[in-house]
Amino acid sequence: MPLFDDAARRKLEQVTLVASRARAGAIKGERRSSKRGTSIEFADYRDYVPGDDLRRLDWNVYARLDRPLTKLYEDEEDLAVHLLLDASASMDYPAPDADSSPTPAGEGSGQAVVPVSKGSREGVASKFDMARRLIAGLGVIALTANDRLTITVLGGRGESFGPVRGRGAAARLLAFIESVRPGGAVDLDAALKGYAGRAARPGLCVLISDLMVPSGIRDGLNALVGRGYQVGVVHVLAPTEIDPTLNGDLRLVDSETGAAQEVTLDDSLRDLYKRRLASWRDGLAADCRQRGAAFIPTVSDAPWEKIILSDLRRAGLVK
Amino acid sequence: MQLLTPLALLGALLAIPIILLYMLRLRRREVVVSSNFLWAQVIRDQEANTPWQRLRRNLLLILQLILLAAIVLALARPFQIVPTLGAGRIAVLIDASASMNATDSPGGDSISRFDQARAIAREVIDARRPDDVITLIRVGAAPDVLAPYTSDADPLYAALDGAQPGLGAADWDAALTLAAAGGAGAADFDVLIISDGGGALRGTATDGGRALPAIPGDLRYIPVGVSAENVGITALAVDVLPGQPPQLFTQIENFGTTAADIVIDLRADDVLIDAINQTIPAGSSFSFIPDLGGLDSFETVRVGVTRAADATSVDHLAADDAAWAVYDGGATRRVLLISAGSLFLEQGLRSLPRLDVTLADPASGIPTGNYDLTIFDGFTPPRLPAGDLLFIDPPESSPLFTVGALTVIPADAIGTIRVERDDPRLTYVDFSGVNLLQFRQVTAPWADVLIRADDGALLLAGDIDGRQVAIMPFALRDSDLPLNIQFPILLSALTDWFLPPTTVALPDGAVNLFDPAESAIAPTATITLGGTVVTPAQEAEFGQREYWGWLALAALAIALIEWILYHRRMRAPGILNLRRKAAL
Repeated sequence: MPLFDDAARRKLEQVTLVASRARAGAIKGERRSSKRGTSIEFADYRDYVPGDDLRRLDWNVYARLDRPLTKLYEDEEDLAVHLLLDASASMDYPAPDADSSPTPAGEGSGQAVVPVSKGSREGVASKFDMARRLIAGLGVIALTANDRLTITVLGGRGESFGPVRGRGAAARLLAFIESVRPGGAVDLDAALKGYAGRAARPGLCVLISDLMVPSGIRDGLNALVGRGYQVGVVHVLAPTEIDPTLNGDLRLVDSETGAAQEVTLDDSLRDLYKRRLASWRDGLAADCRQRGAAFIPTVSDAPWEKIILSDLRRAGLVK
Repeated sequence: MQLLTPLALLGALLAIPIILLYMLRLRRREVVVSSNFLWAQVIRDQEANTPWQRLRRNLLLILQLILLAAIVLALARPFQIVPTLGAGRIAVLIDASASMNATDSPGGDSISRFDQARAIAREVIDARRPDDVITLIRVGAAPDVLAPYTSDADPLYAALDGAQPGLGAADWDAALTLAAAGGAGAADFDVLIISDGGGALRGTATDGGRALPAIPGDLRYIPVGVSAENVGITALAVDVLPGQPPQLFTQIENFGTTAADIVIDLRADDVLIDAINQTIPAGSSFSFIPDLGGLDSFETVRVGVTRAADATSVDHLAADDAAWAVYDGGATRRVLLISAGSLFLEQGLRSLPRLDVTLADPASGIPTGNYDLTIFDGFTPPRLPAGDLLFIDPPESSPLFTVGALTVIPADAIGTIRVERDDPRLTYVDFSGVNLLQFRQVTAPWADVLIRADDGALLLAGDIDGRQVAIMPFALRDSDLPLNIQFPILLSALTDWFLPPTTVALPDGAVNLFDPAESAIAPTATITLGGTVVTPAQEAEFGQREYWGWLALAALAIALIEWILYHRRMRAPGILNLRRKAAL
């Protein structure tokens, strides 16, 4: 199953439509309602992209330089959207089941077919695929809103994309996302701190990760929030991580570190694990809340478009 | 505790492959998970909460090792030396005389001495060693081998359970001889006598019994019974004198050590005639002739003894508390004597019991009426009546016989009168002292000649036409028979043949004990055999008690527990499987 089949693309368009309508409406509404009677401060120019409001085109500059530029005002500074994707090996899960069959290639329809990460089955996506779809959705929304989008991969090969602006970059965005591969280990805390230090334009920062690091992300959050970012953390977990189905005498091998842990899994141990998971997740949520960051827990088999349209919207990350 | 087969302990070496297999089985399945850090924390939590987690993990292994230990121990057959009464070749003789029915055990009224003897025999069987052989002999009126020599417990137990005490005396002589025969030549031969020491075992010569023989082997006497309290009927008889109503005589004896208040009830043909209260002092008897109230016709009479309602005494033996007697005196027979006059005949008949004699004169004809026996003396009737007939000196022939000439026996004849001694009718008759003058020759082809002279028959008797007929072809006045003692004997024999006494049967199960040796249930401390006094046995031998049965049971229980635990552990969570299927 390709990352973005016809159904996924249609969902993307639907998300975009909703976002742009909302965004456009909100801006217009804001300007009309709150700025009436106030002098509008000219802030900056930006290149015109098709779809911008023509009333804001600076005709004088266009007449002189033959270059369309859109005027920007103070409260309409475009948002810098930073998307951080955790591509460590732990995101490449669930592990293949005993009866998983090799995933078939999608029907040839001209689009780039990328084999999904190992271990996903029909209907059960890995966390990485879920994360990539979320990134794609958020990225497309940002481009539609003419935000300044940057995507950075933590772990893996550490690639980055952007900053780009405008809808025309959507195709490149999807190609980039499809090319990212998971692997390796990442120290999330250090990565976040480093990112905060490099910040060119703080704005909205959304981290999509499973947060499976013993040290947590408190320091990283502190750094980001201190630099002025509005932070959202999407915590992706697989269904079998929430409720393990394994049983018996096992040796669990960590996919990132390779360390082994011997457990004898029975009902009582399972209960203990679930309690420990819940308290860990609650701890992460508390860490985020205390720093004014949004925390959105998700499961990798949930419909990703709904997460964007309802959960993220409720959290205020998406308008 | 020792072991019968210590070599079985080598089975413990099986523990090594069990542990190896367990360790191999415990090679865990490898599963790649996203991250271990939560699992590591969970394990730390678990170990903090329950420090014996290591034990729980290895619980199955430990259970399997305990199971192996139980089985190996059971195979090694541990045993404990226990004191017992007999060893080697053991003959167990259990007294089954009437006194063993006494219920004087501490366990209550439902346990008799015989039950106690059974329990003792069972203990001896339980404590036997593997090479011991045991036989069980029940000593009743005749010795009865319940189980021949065997070392297998099952037939011994079955034989014990089926044995019951009897209601007579025990024949110890025969039983001891039987036991001695079985033990001949054995190296270690024990004879256990479980008894209350009654009867011949007392060894005293007061009952006239000879002393019991000495037998080979070790003699052990195990006494049962504690009390002597018993009241029993030792005699009951019905006596009848001619011409008088029957009389009853009964004797009741108190064998105990305290005075007994009893109620004696008397029943004739199951109808209560009388019941009297009586107190019998300890060790004495009470005999009396009950008043039958004029009753003269009954078949059975029963005398019963029961404790008075407020009595403090006890009666431990119930077998001697009832006695029966039969009386068939009600059946009198009607005899018609047709005679011109014979004093001797008339008196002789009247002296016989159960006869109702009617006289008639030949001249006045035969009286009508039903008679069991009609006697014609010197007279032949024209027509023969029904019933049995006796002809004495018939003058003329009749349809049944022919009368011939008169034969005179010469005075100096040395001829003998021969009596057919083999005939049951003439068992006590002896005519050697009888003298006869003359007799008639009578022939009756259907009759047997019971008494013959040289020249003819003196007494013929037989069955014809469905009745019994006898002929004496001589006149009583022609002989000195009436003055001879043989006269009433002959009359009695003939009457018994003509009118056999009716037998009255006792009711089913009615047994009269009438044995003071058995009714005296006081146990004896010692018995005497062959002049040797044997004191009660102490448990001097050593037997074995094995425990492998309990170990095998324990092993089974452990196997069950281990199976349950294993399946509980390996059970996959069912609900999650459903959820996964629904997500597809």
